[in-house]
This record gives sequence, C-alpha cells and structure tokens, in this order.
Amino acid sequence: MIELIDIHKSFKKNKVLNGLNLKIDSGLITVIIGRSGGGKSVLLKHIIGLLKPDRGRVLIDDTDITRLNDRDLNTIRKKFGMLFQEAALFDSMTVKENVAFPLREHAKMSEVEISRVVAEKLKSVGLTGIEDKMPSELSGGMRKRVGLARAIALQPEIVLFDEPTTGLDPVMTEAINQLIVDTQKNLNATCVVISHDLESIFKISHKIAMLYDGDIIEYGTPDEIRASKNPVIEQFLSGSIEGPIKII
Amino acid sequence: MNRAAVAIDQLGRTVLEYVEEMGKIALLFLSVLRWMFQPPLKSHLIFKQMEFVGNKSIFVVVLTGAFTGMVMALQGYYGFKMFSAESMVGSVVALGMTRELGPVLTSLMVTARAGSAMAAELGTMRVTEQIDALSVMAANPVKHLIVPRVIAGVLMLPLLTVVSDFMGILGGYFVGVHLLHINSGIFVKNITTIVDLDDLYNGLVKAAVFGLILSLIGCYKGFNTRGGAEGVGKATTEAVVLSSITILISDYFLTAIMF
Amino acid sequence: MFSISSEAKVGIFVLIGLIILAYMSFQVGQRGFGLKKGYSVDVFFNNVAGLERDASVQIAGVEIGRVESIALKDGKALVTLRIGKDIKLARDVKAAIKTHGILGDKYIELVPGKDEEIYIHEGGRIINVESQADLDRLLNQLAFIADDIKKVTGALSSVLAGDEGEASIKDILENSRQLTRNLNTVVKSNEATLRAVLENTRQLTENLNNVVTKNDEKMAQTIENLRGASEQMEKTFASLNDITESIKKGEGTAGRLIKDKDMAVKLDQAIDSLRDVTDKINQGKGTIGKLINDEETVNNLNEGLTGLSRYINKAEQFRTFLSYRGEYLFDSSEAKNYLDIKIQPKQDKFYIVGLVSDPQGKKTIRDTTVAGVTTRTEEWDRDGLLFNAQIGKRYKDIVIRGGLLESTGGVGLDYFALNDKLKFTFEAFDFSADEKTHLKAAAEYQLFKHLYLSFGWDDFISDKGQESPYAGISIRFEDDDLKYLLTTTPIPK
Ligand SMILES: Nc1ncnc2c1ncn2[C@@H]1O[C@H](COP(=O)(O)OP(=O)(O)OP(=O)(O)O)[C@@H](O)[C@H]1O
Ligand SMILES: [Mg+2]
Repeated sequence: MIELIDIHKSFKKNKVLNGLNLKIDSGLITVIIGRSGGGKSVLLKHIIGLLKPDRGRVLIDDTDITRLNDRDLNTIRKKFGMLFQEAALFDSMTVKENVAFPLREHAKMSEVEISRVVAEKLKSVGLTGIEDKMPSELSGGMRKRVGLARAIALQPEIVLFDEPTTGLDPVMTEAINQLIVDTQKNLNATCVVISHDLESIFKISHKIAMLYDGDIIEYGTPDEIRASKNPVIEQFLSGSIEGPIKII
Repeated sequence: MNRAAVAIDQLGRTVLEYVEEMGKIALLFLSVLRWMFQPPLKSHLIFKQMEFVGNKSIFVVVLTGAFTGMVMALQGYYGFKMFSAESMVGSVVALGMTRELGPVLTSLMVTARAGSAMAAELGTMRVTEQIDALSVMAANPVKHLIVPRVIAGVLMLPLLTVVSDFMGILGGYFVGVHLLHINSGIFVKNITTIVDLDDLYNGLVKAAVFGLILSLIGCYKGFNTRGGAEGVGKATTEAVVLSSITILISDYFLTAIMF
Repeated sequence: MFSISSEAKVGIFVLIGLIILAYMSFQVGQRGFGLKKGYSVDVFFNNVAGLERDASVQIAGVEIGRVESIALKDGKALVTLRIGKDIKLARDVKAAIKTHGILGDKYIELVPGKDEEIYIHEGGRIINVESQADLDRLLNQLAFIADDIKKVTGALSSVLAGDEGEASIKDILENSRQLTRNLNTVVKSNEATLRAVLENTRQLTENLNNVVTKNDEKMAQTIENLRGASEQMEKTFASLNDITESIKKGEGTAGRLIKDKDMAVKLDQAIDSLRDVTDKINQGKGTIGKLINDEETVNNLNEGLTGLSRYINKAEQFRTFLSYRGEYLFDSSEAKNYLDIKIQPKQDKFYIVGLVSDPQGKKTIRDTTVAGVTTRTEEWDRDGLLFNAQIGKRYKDIVIRGGLLESTGGVGLDYFALNDKLKFTFEAFDFSADEKTHLKAAAEYQLFKHLYLSFGWDDFISDKGQESPYAGISIRFEDDDLKYLLTTTPIPK
C-alpha cells in the first residue's frame, strides 16, 4: 500500500503540494487526474523518492521512504517500474540496451534470455524490429512505448505511468490501456496512472483521485467520481470553460 | 537594510557559495572513490569514456603539441642567439614541454573537448530526466555516469601528455634542426643531459591530477544542471571556465611542490 | 563492415603511448645508463661545498660515473661515487672537485693512476685527494691575526686611557713632538728609500689581492708563504705585546724607547701598516673585511633573531583560526558543511562562531492552538543555515566547550592525542523533549599542515533514522598562516 501523509512541497515560492493526503490500495489501478501543471508528475516522483517532501511522509508498505538512506531506498525501488512523461530513454543507448538496462542491472540473465525478454516486451507495446535503433530515430509515441517496455521489463510490483497514452493514435491508445489492465492482472501489480484521457480513465481505473490546488479533493470509484457534485470535478469532466477552475 | 549591508551580505553569500561548491566537488570526489571500489565495475562504460577522452583527443593534442614545440624553438632561438647558445634551444623546448606546457595545454584542450562534453551530456541527461530514470531503476548515477568519466580522465590525460610532450619535442627538433640549422647531435645531446626522468614523470603526475580536476568538475556541473537547454549551456560554460582556472591555479601549487 | 571495439581502440592508444613514454624515458635517462650496475667507491674530502648528488664523475672530461651520496663522517665529507662497471680505477687514482660550465657546476675529476697492478673494487676507497685551494684555512689564519691585532690595540688603549698613563702620555706627546721633528729630518734624508718601501708594499698587497680573487693555481704555494709570513707576524706581534706590556708598567721605558731613533721609526712603520690593514678591512677589502662587512651574514643573523622573537610573540598572542569542514553522510548521501572562526585570546581559552549548512535543514517548532487544542508541528527548512557559537576551555589534553551547537544548546568534549594531531570529539545537543538528544562522535586526524580527515557517527541514537556514519575533510588556517601562505609560497624555479 502506498500512503502519502500531509505532503507539502514547494519550488522556491511556487507551492505545488499543500498538505496532500492519499492512500493507494495495492493491486488496483488508480488514476490521478488534475489540471495541467497541477503537480501530478511531482506527486508521482514523491511516491518513488525522486523528490523529497518539505514536510510529510511517504509510506510504501509502512516504510517511510523520505528518511531512508541510499541503500535501503534502492532496495525498495527495485519493486517499482516507472514510465516518465517524456519517456527519459538513455539516448546514448540503443532501444534494446534501454529495455535491457534494468535486466542487466538486477536480473542475472544470459544474453539470449535478455534478447528474448526485450523482444517480448517490445512486442507487447506494439513495436518490433527496432532493437538497434537509437532513441533519437524514434517518434514521440514510439519513444513512450519503449519507455513503457522498459518500465515493465522487470515485472515490478508497483508501476507508475506518467501519461502513457498521450500522443498516441486511438488504436494504439486502446492497446496500451489493455496492456496496463493486463499488467495489473497478470502481475497483480499496483498501477498508478496519470492521464488526461477521460474515456480511457473510466474504462481502466478502479479508483480515481482528483488533484486540485495541491490536495486531493475527491477520491473514489469511477462511478462515485462521475456522480460527484463537486463543482471543480463537474467542470473538469465536462471540460467547460466556465466554473471554479480558472484558465488564467 | 542599507546598500552597504546588502552588499556585504551578498559578498558573504557568494564566498559561502563558492566554498560550498568546492566542498561539494570534494564530496563528490569522495563519493566517486566510494563507488569506484564497489564491484561490479562497469568496464564497458569505462572503455567507452577512455576512447572518448583519449583516442578522440589525439588529433588536437598532436597538433597543439607539435606547434607549441615549434613556436618555442623559434622563440628560444632568437633569445639564445644573443648569447651564441642556439644549441640550448632543444633543452628549453624539452624542459618546457615535459614540465609545463605538455600537461597544461593537453588538459586545457581536453577540458574544451571532453570536459565540456561531459557537462553537456550529463546536463542533458539531467534535464531530460534520464538521471532520474537511472535512480528509479535503482542504478546509482554516480557509479554509472561519473566513475567511468573520472577514471578515464585520470588514466588518459597522462597518456595524451606523453604524446603531446613527444610531438612538442619533435616539432622543436624540426624547426631547430631543419629550419634553423642547429647541429642535430648537439640538439639531442642537450635535451638528454638537461631533461631528467623526474621532469617527465612529474609532468605526467600533474596531467593525472588535471584529468581528475577536469572530469570531476565537468561531471559536477553537468550533474547539477537546472533548467532546460539554457541550463545545459550554462553548465557547459561554467565547467570549462572553472576547470581551466582550477587547472592553472593547481598547476602553480603542483609546480611549487614538485620541482 | 569491419568495426573495432572501444576496448581495442583504447588498447592500441595505450600501447602507443607507453612505447613513446618508454622511448623518452630511455633517452632522457640515458646519462645514467649502465651505471646502476656499476660499483661504488668512497672518497673523503675536506670540503664539498657546491657538489650535488648525481653530479658527474669524469676522467679526461668523459663521464664515467655519478655521485651517489654525500654524507658527513668524522667531520669530513664522505662522497660515494658510482662508477660504470667497465671502468677500472688504479689504486693511486687521484680525485679532485672541479668546476665547469657557465653555471659553475661542480664535478669530480679523476686523474688515472700509474699503479696498474691493483684496481679499486666495490666499496673501495680513493686515497689520493687533491685538496681544494683551501680558502677556509686562509680565513682561519687571518682570524688569528685579527685576534692578535685586537690584543695589541686593547693593550694600547688601556695604556693610553689609564690614570697612571696620563703622565706618561704627556711624556709621550712631548717625546713624539721631538720624534716627529726627528722623523721629519729622517724622512727628508731618506725620502727615496721610504717611497720605494711604500711602493713595494703596495705592489705586494696588489699581488696578494690578485692571488686571492683569482684563486689561481699558485694559491697553495702562496698560502704556504703566507703562513710563513703570518708566523713571522705573530712573532712580531708577540714582541709588540712585550713592548706595550713594559710601557704599561710605566717604567719610563717608553720615553727611552721612543728616544731611540731606530726603534721609533720601526714602531711608526708598524703602526702605519696596521692602519693600512684595518682600513682595508673596513672597506671590505680582503677576506676578513668581506667576512665582517658581508651583508648577508648580518642579514642572516638578523633574520634569525626576528624569527625567534616572532616565535616567542606568537605563543603569547591572540590567535584566530578559520576553518571549513565538509562531512559526507554515507547513509543519506548528503553533505553537511561547517564554516567556523575560532578566536583564541589565550592559550587555553577560545570562542567559536560559525555557520552550518545541514541537508536535514533547520527545525522550527510551532504550537498552534485551535479551539483549546494545542498541536505542535515541526517544520524543516532545508535552505536554512544553522549557527555555532561556543565558548571553550582547555585543560591539558581535554577541551570542554558549550553554547550553541547547530542552533541548539549543547556541549562538546574534545580529547587530543599525538601532539594534537589526533582529536576525539563527542558532542551532545538538541535536548528538546520530544526527540532524543543529538549525539555525535568523531575522530579527526591532521593529515597535512592545514588538512584534516575525520570519521564519525552523527546522531547515533536518533529515533528518526537520521543516524549515519560520515567521512569529512576540513581545512584550517590560522589568520597568520593565511598571510604566510600568500607571501611565502615558493616561486617555482
Ligand atoms: N524540478 C522542478 N523545479 C521547479 N519547479 C518544478 C519542478 N518540477 C515541477 N515544477 C513545477 O511544479 C508544478 C507542477 O508540475 P508537474 O509537472 O507536476 O505538473 P503536471 O500536473 O504533471 O502537469 P502536466 O499535466 O502538464 O504534466 C509546475 O508549476 C512546475 O513548474
Ligand atoms: Mg506531468
């Protein structure tokens, strides 16, 4: 279980998270929604310890990771897989080396096995025969899918997806949604997904959390969210310009 | 607060920042040492960096070394001619190259070529979250990115300096013997009697220290880049400036200690 | 396509580099080539001033070896030579220290012997040593002379200044008036002879000067002559002494003595030449003069004295130290930085003020009361600086200090060992009720003059998982040291 307790985070004067509390249940797909620039990526980075809160605690299976040393943090991180919003592929390595990276680091596999796993993971994100390409030769959507393949290569217990379907065509979007659902089912993984694609969200999520103004203002099943009378959520779901969410 | 107080406050902050930066670089060095001795060593990464720092710098180093030696020979010739001691030109070129110009010029060239590239590469990795990706995959960024570069710097700089020394002396020989018609036997004899093994080796020790400085500072600046493409540019410039200054300053102290 | 791996490329480069290095080392080190295997031979010299290790050993201008070591043994310089293994030295080979080149490098010249029956072996000794034109001995000789002169003038002055001497001085003056009158006539009648004598003396001193400065081959001989001369002089002075002794006795001998024309003329001449000598000494001519008037000697002495007084002052003075310390916490991979100024008005008392940057940050505790319920919150300000302000006192090897440690109250205990090179430290601070006291233990070792290495354990009873071993480096300057560092760093040759 992932538990965020009273998280405060600012960058200089910019207060991004303001006393945020959230409990994410194991074995479910939880989607975090919220306005652009609202701090969703920042929240995700707190879960994996890339950012440390100014105040508050982050509990992963009851361990406070904000107070851990390098070694212990790394032990916990081995449970994780993460897809970055901009994929964050190593651009000095080929696609194959990118996907193989976690395998080489943490799994004792032969070269043959590694090649097989890499090909399999790439196939699951709809890519074949691009192993020897460099990331700079790929399109944005392809890069994102390679990043996805890398995130799930080690079959992690917890997978964090930062906008996995943004920039993909409808067919590919559907395929990735399916991949997330399958990953969760097959590995019984905990998936935390950031997404702006409402249709997909309601299709795949077990729980939805709405981040607004540095805090989670609504947290519940898709049906509960849809039925919510909170004006912020109503405006967000309808996508209307009028309402409490100000554009400027 | 009045202006003076603000100025003093600013000065204090700047000094403290500078001291803190030096401290951080020193601590980064400690952390590099710590990770260097934790197996497994990423040998393919080290070789890749050695090729980048070493092999790919050969051309510039050969060129700067040779021309430096040639210029020294020419200048030395005019000076020594006044005392009819033209044959000393060889030893001046050789001594100058092995003790000072070989290590310093090589390090400055490599700083410009590889130190800046290290800062730019790590800087880009930082702003495109590749370093975060490393951390997330429980791979220590210092071990993966900085250790190989520092090892490559420390090992390759002395080798490049050997090449530079050699080319400098060769260039000096060419100018002295072929263009200025100094007797070749005396030219060489003067080199071998005046230059000591210690001159050569101390120069190489200097080069290794400079290699450490330029790779460490390049990595430090890249690693701590903030703010997009502009930040990467800034980090690169800062790395080259800080490395060059530190190399020249430490050269003075190394010379004072060694010779 | 044929491609070479990074490893292979690097390998090729390393190989080429090493080959060039080996070639250059071989070329440059060639001077000593083959000598390592040679054999060593000892020579004793009286004086090897200017001779350096590794100086060349030559026969007929050809280098056949090097000076391996120079040591002092029984008041003489023991020089060990390493001679190339193909060179054979006859037992009666002769060694001398010579000078060559514009730079005046000293080297050892061997003159082959004739006794080809017996050669010198490893560890052997060259017995024939050509002694250097021994300036030192000359100096010694002259020092004796100077002593004598001092005795004579001392005696004279006591005669002239003494109470009982007054009467005889009157006598002497009266006599000398007569004497000069007589002298005048003598001089007038003997003018030519006197001039010749003076001319001769002048020439003599000129020659002497030439000999001394040019240090030419005949030096040894000259010295021999000089020694004879000085012995003679010594005798003369002895008799002069006798004379003044008797003058002192006030037996009226002086008058009688001076009335004796011949004696008077001799005395006058002696005094004149004495004045000549002392004048020359004053003007820095000649070796004694140089010695006495040598500014360097005086400077050296002065420097020695000021150095000493500075040293004595320093011990009593108010001292300030500036130090920076960085501590790398292994567990959190973060660094703590300390910048301290230590003011030490007395040897056993000091004050410390400083700044600490702590990655943990600065804690502020806030109590907020809402509807009668008080909640206490802790805030960590990561950019905040912490402060140090302590007062301390030293008892022998133990220092006790207290005050503000990292912006909270605390105390510290230091124990010094190994002449203060090693320091053990224990600190306790942050005694706030809601968490365990911050304890810190460390050992610090002085690696170089200004550089210290430390290892320790920070916050080791923490209940918040903040305990961590650390390694630190610190740099510490005394403000004086800073001044020295800026002014006395050697200028590279
Ligand atoms: N490393 C950082 N340094 C400074 N500010 C940052 C940093 N990371 C994020 N921010 C700021 O934090 C705020 C939230 O950023 P974040 O990336 O979490 O938004 P987001 O909700 O993911 O938006 P989007 O949906 O567009 O990805 C933004 O205002 C951003 O400027
Ligand atoms: Mg985002």
